[in-house]
Amino acid sequence: MGIGPSTKETTMHHFHDPLVRVVASDPDVDFQGVILVGTPQDNYLKNLVGRRTAFWLEAMRTNGAIISADGWGNSDVDFMNTMTEIGDKGISIVGLKFIGTQAGFVVENEHTKFVLDINKSKSGTETEVVGENNLSEKDAHKALGLLKLKMRKDGQVTK
Amino acid sequence: MNKNTLTINAFSMQDVTIGPKYHLTENSMQIPDHPLFDIDDRLKSVNVKLVDPKDCHFKINTIMDVIPISTKVLGNIGYGMSNTLTGVSVILTGADETGVQLHEFGSSDGYLDEKIKFDTDGTPSSDDVIILIDVILKSDFEFNRETCEMVFNTSDQFLQPIREILKVMNGRDAAESFEYEDIKHPGKPKVAIVKEVAGQGAMYDNMVFAKEPGGIEKGISIIDMDNMPILLSANEYRDGAIHALV
Repeated sequence: MGIGPSTKETTMHHFHDPLVRVVASDPDVDFQGVILVGTPQDNYLKNLVGRRTAFWLEAMRTNGAIISADGWGNSDVDFMNTMTEIGDKGISIVGLKFIGTQAGFVVENEHTKFVLDINKSKSGTETEVVGENNLSEKDAHKALGLLKLKMRKDGQVTK
Repeated sequence: MNKNTLTINAFSMQDVTIGPKYHLTENSMQIPDHPLFDIDDRLKSVNVKLVDPKDCHFKINTIMDVIPISTKVLGNIGYGMSNTLTGVSVILTGADETGVQLHEFGSSDGYLDEKIKFDTDGTPSSDDVIILIDVILKSDFEFNRETCEMVFNTSDQFLQPIREILKVMNGRDAAESFEYEDIKHPGKPKVAIVKEVAGQGAMYDNMVFAKEPGGIEKGISIIDMDNMPILLSANEYRDGAIHALV
C-alpha cells in the first residue's frame, strides 16, 4: 500500500490544486496557508511530524484545518495521528482521503467520522487510472462546508 | 514589487508540432522529438511525441507525472509574474528496456485512453495537445531515488528551452491574464490546509522550491527535510512550488 495511480497527485494537480482554489478564495474564512508535511517511514518521525504540524497551527492561532492525503494504508497512521494532535490543541479538524471499499480505517477514533471519502470509482478500489480518485473541487467544497459546521459546533465562531 | 500579488499570463497554444529545434510564438510551438543534450548513461532512450487525447488508444509505459509548462518572469515562486502555456501539457512515462515499469505502488501502463481520466485538475484537458515524453532505462538500472530523480530531471531539462523562450515573451500578447492576491479576512475564522504527501523513497517523494514553477532544478526533496512540515502560501502553491515525484 502507498500511493497508487488513481490517487497520486501529479505536479499538474498541485498546480491546479482544488482545495487551495476553494479555501483560499472563500470570503467567510481568513485563509492562512498550506502546511505541507511528509509521511516518514519511521514511527518516531511519524509522530514527530504530526506534533510539529499541530504546534504550528496552534502558534498561527488557527481555528480550523482541513487535512488531505494522496495515499492510503501505511500513511493512514500519519493521517490519524496528525488529526489527533491537531484536535488535541482545540483546533477543529476535518479530513479528505481515499477510502472506497478498499481503504477503510484499521482503527477508528473520534476524528474518523470527520474524514470524507474522495473515491470516485464504481468499484471503490485503486483502479490504476491516473486522476480517477483524486480530490476534486466538489470534495473541497464538501470539506470546507463540514469544517464550517464543525467550527460552529466547537465554538470557534463567536457571534 | 508587491510580494502579495502573483500575475499569471497564459499563452494559448493552437498549433504544436515536432521539428528540428525549439520555437515558440504566442500561439504556436515547435519542439524536437528527442533531447538535444547528452542523456544520462543509465538511459537507453528518450522519445518525445505529440498525442491527441481524443485519439490515444495505444500502449504506453506507466505514467510517472503530468506536468504543466510555466516559467518565472519576475520575482520568485509565489509572487511577481509567471508565463504559462495552456492548450499543451506534458505526460512523462517510464520503464526499462525489458518492460519493468517505474512506479512505487501500482502501475498505469496499458492503453493511454484507458489509463488516464482527462479533464481533471491533475490531468490534461481533452482539448490539449499532449507532449508524451517516454524515458527508457537500460535493464541493469537500480530502482532508487537517484535513478528516479534523474528521469524526472531529464524531462525537466527537455522542457527548459521552452521555458527560456516563454520567459521573454510579452505578457501583452497573452491570451489571458490572471491576478491572484493574498487577501486577508480579519475577524473571520482562521483556516489552514494540511497536505500530507509522500516522503519515503523512490517514486514516493515530492520536491519543493525549485527555481521554475513545477520544475526540478534546485528543488528540495521532502525526504531530505525529514518530512518536516513547511508552510506555503496559496500563491506559492498556484505558482507550482511543488513537483510531485510519485
